[in-house]
Amino acid sequence: MPVSRPDSPMRTPRPGERPGSGGAGRALRAVGGPAVMKLVVAGGFGVGKTTFIGAVSEIPPLSTEEHLTQAGAATDHLTGVEHKTTTTVAFDFGRLSLDVPVPLELLLFGTPGQDRFLDIWYDLAAGAIGAVVLADTRRLEASFTAATFCEQIGLPFVVAVNEFDGAHRYPEHAIRDAFALRPNTPVVACDARATSSVAAVLLTLVQHALAAALARPAHSTDSTLLDA
Amino acid sequence: MRPHSGPKPLSAGASVEVADFVRTYTLTGGRTRPRHRLRLETVLELGPGRPGPALPLECEQILVLCRIRRRSVAELAGTLGRPVSAVRILVSDLLDTRALRVPVPAADSAYIPSSDPAAGNDPSVKLLEAVLAGLKTRFPDAYPQAG
Repeated sequence: MPVSRPDSPMRTPRPGERPGSGGAGRALRAVGGPAVMKLVVAGGFGVGKTTFIGAVSEIPPLSTEEHLTQAGAATDHLTGVEHKTTTTVAFDFGRLSLDVPVPLELLLFGTPGQDRFLDIWYDLAAGAIGAVVLADTRRLEASFTAATFCEQIGLPFVVAVNEFDGAHRYPEHAIRDAFALRPNTPVVACDARATSSVAAVLLTLVQHALAAALARPAHSTDSTLLDA
Repeated sequence: MRPHSGPKPLSAGASVEVADFVRTYTLTGGRTRPRHRLRLETVLELGPGRPGPALPLECEQILVLCRIRRRSVAELAGTLGRPVSAVRILVSDLLDTRALRVPVPAADSAYIPSSDPAAGNDPSVKLLEAVLAGLKTRFPDAYPQAG
């Protein structure tokens, strides 16, 4: 499993990104906040990501916009100048606070439905615990890109099959085959409308991420730069 | 009516998008880059400083929201209905005047994602254990189903 998240082969540097530019300065920080963790909810358009986030979020899911500057499809071959276009892309956001055993805030980020906005997927996934790849049995292929993305950047993920009423139910091995999953990647069924069902998916994901973290060589050898 | 193919003036949708883009960067005084590196998940709380004069309405709204509780950049942008890139610049201004600040976890350092570049941003084992315990406490009736 590739662990080279910061410099994975798929990754393209984004405009405005400067190496070594840290967070807000130390003087601007104040001690006393909860630890903030991210979870990503990925999957194709219309598989139920907003509903899934809404089932556990303490605020109604927000649709947050970001401007993306992309190289346009058309390139001026005479001058070699690429046309840049700015598009607006929206992602879902939800929040879940936990108090026990320590104050924690889980931020839930839903990926944009369209696969072409991969730049923002990197922002959403950076530093995340892991991802739920939500799938609709009527069109599993809509969520293949999400699973591939997670595998390529080494982000732990589970496939959660959102079982709409009356939807065809596949046996687990059929889902595994369709997604070409590694044997240790969990596959669970869920009802994206039901809080306890969504919470169970999150539990499965965090358990899986914990197992992955324990298996990571860096865990036992402290700070060896294995990817160098 | 469906738009014709071939050369045509900006469609209504595109001009709305351009207008929105222009409005956003009028708001930030034409700036497109914040001075502070703010992630989507960076959480802000009210600081001890006073904001400067002639504050844009959106800055006032950010301060009102953060007075109620601490909020992430993503949540502020979603609540205000403004793009993240614009909100990053406004938040950055408010950090400069210390009207806002970034809280860090008070718990021991194991709960803070490592600052060691070799470890990347991966959450620590201890933090993941805390999340697991927190979820189990919050959702005692959550039961995983086989796929």
